[in-house]
Amino acid sequence: MFQKLIMISWRNVMRNRRRTVITGIAIGVGLASLMFSDALFAGMNVHMVESITQTWMGDAQIHREGFRETARISYTIDNPAEIDSMLSCDTLVTASTGRLISPASLQSAMEMKPVTLMGVNHLTESSISMLETAIDAGSYLTGDSLEIIIGSKLADEMDLQLGDIAVVTAAMADSGFSSRMFMVSGICKFGSDQYDRYAAFVNIESAGSLLGLTGELHEIAIKFSGPMIAMNEDLPFWNTFSPDSNIAEGWPTLAPQIKTMLGMVNVSMTIMSLILFGLVLFGIINSLFMSVYERMYEFGVMKAVGTSKLSITAMVLLEAFWLGVVGSAIGALFGFALIEYYANAGISFGDISLSGVMFDKPLYTIVDWSRIWIYPAATLLFTTIAGIYPGIHAGNLNPSKAMRKSL
Amino acid sequence: MKTQTENVIVTRDLRKTYEDGGVPVEAVRGIDFALTKGEFTAIIGPSGSGKTTFLNLMAGLDSPTGGEVELSGNLISEMSGKELSNYRRDHIGFIFQAYNLFPVLTVEENIEYIMLLQGVHKKERHERVMKILEQVELQDFAGRLPSKLSGGQQQRVAVARAMVSKPSLVIADEPTANLDSKTSGDLLDMMKKLNEETGMTFLFSTHDEIVMKRARKVVTIRDGLLYKTDESSE
Repeated sequence: MFQKLIMISWRNVMRNRRRTVITGIAIGVGLASLMFSDALFAGMNVHMVESITQTWMGDAQIHREGFRETARISYTIDNPAEIDSMLSCDTLVTASTGRLISPASLQSAMEMKPVTLMGVNHLTESSISMLETAIDAGSYLTGDSLEIIIGSKLADEMDLQLGDIAVVTAAMADSGFSSRMFMVSGICKFGSDQYDRYAAFVNIESAGSLLGLTGELHEIAIKFSGPMIAMNEDLPFWNTFSPDSNIAEGWPTLAPQIKTMLGMVNVSMTIMSLILFGLVLFGIINSLFMSVYERMYEFGVMKAVGTSKLSITAMVLLEAFWLGVVGSAIGALFGFALIEYYANAGISFGDISLSGVMFDKPLYTIVDWSRIWIYPAATLLFTTIAGIYPGIHAGNLNPSKAMRKSL
Repeated sequence: MKTQTENVIVTRDLRKTYEDGGVPVEAVRGIDFALTKGEFTAIIGPSGSGKTTFLNLMAGLDSPTGGEVELSGNLISEMSGKELSNYRRDHIGFIFQAYNLFPVLTVEENIEYIMLLQGVHKKERHERVMKILEQVELQDFAGRLPSKLSGGQQQRVAVARAMVSKPSLVIADEPTANLDSKTSGDLLDMMKKLNEETGMTFLFSTHDEIVMKRARKVVTIRDGLLYKTDESSE
């Protein structure tokens, strides 16, 4: 009997093809927009994470405990050479670079500005940050002790140009101050004030000599084989590289605002899904009730000849299921077509910045296969659930009332 | 063929009162009636006389406000909804004025539907459907949808559907109302023949003289009461 009900319900759904197609399209549009939004948000998440990790931070960093909170230049990493050797053996790690970081002042002939002095390894820095690609004028570091790269806004404010002399003054690790003369070899443009207005980049040896920290490191920035690996708080990596006074942290800890934004995106997506599924649910209930009222006489006859309440309810539920199948097929087809198109074409948001994240490049949709299937499946489930109320209503019809003029 | 006197259906002081806009309307006002096996009986009466309500009560489609209906020795009032549904499925065949075949099912599927509910095996279903289609002379129409048949053909399918499960009583609500007089006559002749061949009991409500003329017994209902019973000499 159930097999027959499956067949009857399908034929019933196909009886009024126009209504079925319209309902299917309504469900499909809802589903496609959900799938597209999910893929867009997935693309946005990856963009946000990559924007923050690839600009400067890396996927993870190792510091001396307390350095991030106090910025004390004496808080250097314990055993940096040993850590470097361990990192090179770790399969999760694809690249790493060491840095010295200190507050300093940059003086030109006319101006003096506070900056964060970044001592970087010119050979390994490019594999972690976008310093090399952010060079707007001049050239990237070559290892020359006189080289300094400054941000474009800082250069404008201090009226510094390529080849100009600038003096950096900073507190030394033990005591006292130290000054050193540099020549502007490059001007960079990251698109963020943090680097374009308040940072100066020199070779790590020069920074070490200026700060009295030759051979020492304040920070090791690390790149993993995937940007989302650092989301895993249970990764053994964190313990392995946090012995004694050092501490290894991933970008979710280093940039908690991004983690919060990802959480907000997920909540938004869930709320949007619930609203859309709710609309679909009521749309289907309405469509099914119309169909039940149109066939009142037929249900009366079915009951009169002995069809059980359960069979009639099951038939209406199956009709809802078939509507879900039609809607899910239309939606999945349309959704994947949209996702595929924007995965290649991208969506440009202009040069907006949000919580320090630049959206200067197009956003590309990304299919998260671990969750994208949930939407068609949930659509099918919700549409079937939508059949419960009309199904019970049809099952409970009084045959003589339903047939009105009969017998 | 009408040799047995076993009662298929008996009503005792059967009553039904409706509420119509808060006003009680007595549609059936105490009918005592009995139908013996193999009868071919017509119920007639003017519109609003209560014949449809009376048939609904006898078929267990509606519950009485007084009195009782006994179907083959079983009191309808003592049956649960499911038992009543099963009872209708197994013991009563319905023929409706507007045919009321299931539009999405073919002729064969329409006829086998009740047997499907009864759990009859597929092979037996097919054999019985083919046999009855032959009896109603529609053996070449098994795979057609009802919409591809004429009114007379549809009503013959409805007769086949009502009879294929071999019910003890076939109730027909104005079965010829939508048919022309020739088709009506042919249909009635066919039903009468089936009645004689199978001994199945037929009960019609009708305004149609063609039906009345062919009925062995004509029961007249007026104002919710059984007014008179005429038996043909046939």
